Amino acid sequence: MKAWAVFLDAPVPYAAGVALQERLHAARLAEAIPDTVLFLEHPPVVTLGQRGRDDGVRLPPEALRAHGVELARASRGGNVTFHGPGQCVLYPILRLGAHEADAHGYLHNLEEVALRTAADFGVQAFRRAGMNGAWTDDGKLAAIGFRLKRWVTLHGMSFNVNVDLAGFDLIIPCGLAGERVSSLARLLGAACPGVAQVRERLAHHFALVCGRELDIVRAGDPVPSALAALLDPVETRISG
Amino acid sequence: MNVPTELRYTKTHEWVRLDKNGVATIGITDFAQEQLGDLTYVELPGVGDNVEAQSDVAVVESVKAAADIYAPVAGTISEINKKLEEQPELINSDPFGDGWIFKLRPDDPSEIDMLLDADGYEDMIPESEE
Repeated sequence: MKAWAVFLDAPVPYAAGVALQERLHAARLAEAIPDTVLFLEHPPVVTLGQRGRDDGVRLPPEALRAHGVELARASRGGNVTFHGPGQCVLYPILRLGAHEADAHGYLHNLEEVALRTAADFGVQAFRRAGMNGAWTDDGKLAAIGFRLKRWVTLHGMSFNVNVDLAGFDLIIPCGLAGERVSSLARLLGAACPGVAQVRERLAHHFALVCGRELDIVRAGDPVPSALAALLDPVETRISG
Repeated sequence: MNVPTELRYTKTHEWVRLDKNGVATIGITDFAQEQLGDLTYVELPGVGDNVEAQSDVAVVESVKAAADIYAPVAGTISEINKKLEEQPELINSDPFGDGWIFKLRPDDPSEIDMLLDADGYEDMIPESEE
């Protein structure tokens, strides 16, 4: 089944990313667009999960802001996390249930995408029982948290490429005290690929694992009109 | 994938059983619980709430997912499964039994006949190769 992947090169403010997902979700429910996966980066932001547990945030909002970090509440599952430049964020807007690939479970599929992508760059990542995400010997490489509304997904996965890991020191990531967070840059040093390279591999594996044939919209490509109507010319631009 | 034949189903993966006393019991399907993973929290509706068909009435949350649960038909919530507040995992272990979520007195019980039957629901969900 055909799906769209959209590579947004300009950093997307967190609230604008949520608003775009909600517009895509509504359009997906109305069958106005196919399944669509956003690939983007956020400016520094700490986000809380659905139940708003903020005991995992080490600083009050004002102090975070002084560090140049926003605080936002998200409707996704999961606990507190950090997003920032150098982290590839995937927001799949998928109607679950219509594909053979979905029978394995969406969470399992997202993890598989992260594991295979890490392997492409020579990093051995793995699952840990009861600790969702993609892990390495050096800590967590990819975090997952999603929302289902009428069985169409929102939110998704963030994969650390060369994000400043100091951002995670502001929080207790996923509420897991004592667990470390890593990135490809930390694991690979100078051999670390750029976000653009990693996102190509994430899209490649997403298509295989989730059983969607992706039409990728990159900067400079023609944008389907149904999609163009949902993008914001200022805050959710394809070109950087 | 377990799909009991005596139940009715929605496209949003709820199951419905109409009892002889005219009350419908509602939960989520085996497929649904499998997609969400191990559940850790359930937000239940209020008894006495009047709900519209397809309105969101509950939220289930797993370690990594949050999902809305919808009323299959219009009616009044008559009972909630309080056990889920302490043991949300009952939805994983017994989705069609002890993992029921709420009961509802339908405004029009005949609307339940319009929902999917087991064959119709089974056609909708993907088959695992395993």
